[in-house]
Amino acid sequence: MKTAVLSCTGLDKPEGSVAREAAIRMAEAANSEIICPVLLNRSLARYEKVLADNSLIVVDGCSTRCASKLAESLDLKIDRKVLVADALKSSGLTLEPTLRLETNGAALAQTIVDGLVQSLAAPAPAQPSGTSSTEFPPPGEYLIVTHDKFEFRIPVSDYWFNENDVWVRPLGDVARIGISDYMQQSLTDINFVDAPAMHLSVEQFGELGTLESSKAVFEVVAPVAGTVIAVNSEVVSNPTLINEDPYGKGWIVQLKLSNWPEDRELLLNSDAYAKTVKHKAEEA
Amino acid sequence: MSEATFMGVPREKIVWHPTIDYQKCTFCMECANFCPHRVFEQREGDRRLVVANPNNCVVFCRACSKTCGPDALSFPDKQATIAQIKQMREQVSVQ
Repeated sequence: MKTAVLSCTGLDKPEGSVAREAAIRMAEAANSEIICPVLLNRSLARYEKVLADNSLIVVDGCSTRCASKLAESLDLKIDRKVLVADALKSSGLTLEPTLRLETNGAALAQTIVDGLVQSLAAPAPAQPSGTSSTEFPPPGEYLIVTHDKFEFRIPVSDYWFNENDVWVRPLGDVARIGISDYMQQSLTDINFVDAPAMHLSVEQFGELGTLESSKAVFEVVAPVAGTVIAVNSEVVSNPTLINEDPYGKGWIVQLKLSNWPEDRELLLNSDAYAKTVKHKAEEA
Repeated sequence: MSEATFMGVPREKIVWHPTIDYQKCTFCMECANFCPHRVFEQREGDRRLVVANPNNCVVFCRACSKTCGPDALSFPDKQATIAQIKQMREQVSVQ
């Protein structure tokens, strides 16, 4: 896969310096094109061919995510993303308060590049990644909650919800997870899915990745405990599937359930969630 | 937005809201502009940003911290909060 890297400029925080270094190392290790964010902002035409010919990798330094926001403002499709601040937390390293690249910063940049190169080498799965053959039938009838001109759908049966607007649909000892119609409408067009890693073990109400729209970053709060056995690769490559079909093709991950009977006690059925949605819509 | 209860527990009994580290905060106001629940308020003086409405914060939501470049926002431990909620639910159910 041919790639181009858009990174933080590296002139505000140490994490930015690492992002910039990672971009340079990606050019060396994977022959990626480097996109200067300042020049891109000044002249999109300069990079039109680069963007047309390459998959875009964005490397943000800190959670301000300037590079991501620039890409979104220009309607650029992001293929992969790295946030140095998150990578730093995972690494256990610390960065000195300087914009000059120190030893730990260089090591972190190399770790990021190694991860990107490895993910580029792995072929993208055509089907949901993981090993799950469970077939989930499409949702049946819907309850409709109305507020002003808005309508929010909630499947009448088979789905359970937490109060963070994430649904779970159990089937045997596995379950699919996604976000509700109310939440997808609140987020508006979802443009990036940061899915959890395969085999991740998560507690009930733990984090199952994040979704990003131009409006918000949304943490997917796990409605149940379990182990990730599949990630919906179609949603990762086309996040607006969540907007189009939040309870069906827009599922995000599949878990092997570890504590369903107890977890269910803290979840809402469709009627109870409908009341919650009504309340939230009125208060918003 | 104010929610009267969360998982059957009165919202005001659940300690879940951001804490601002004023050593790190640059008062960029990204979080205040982002949060639709008016958890933050801008003020005059040295501390131009405060957590004015902690109970407006959606329990388990940490989205504002994901907009914070200087990493100045922190939240309580989730598992400890869940344990507290479960305990309060049990107390409610025996009453």
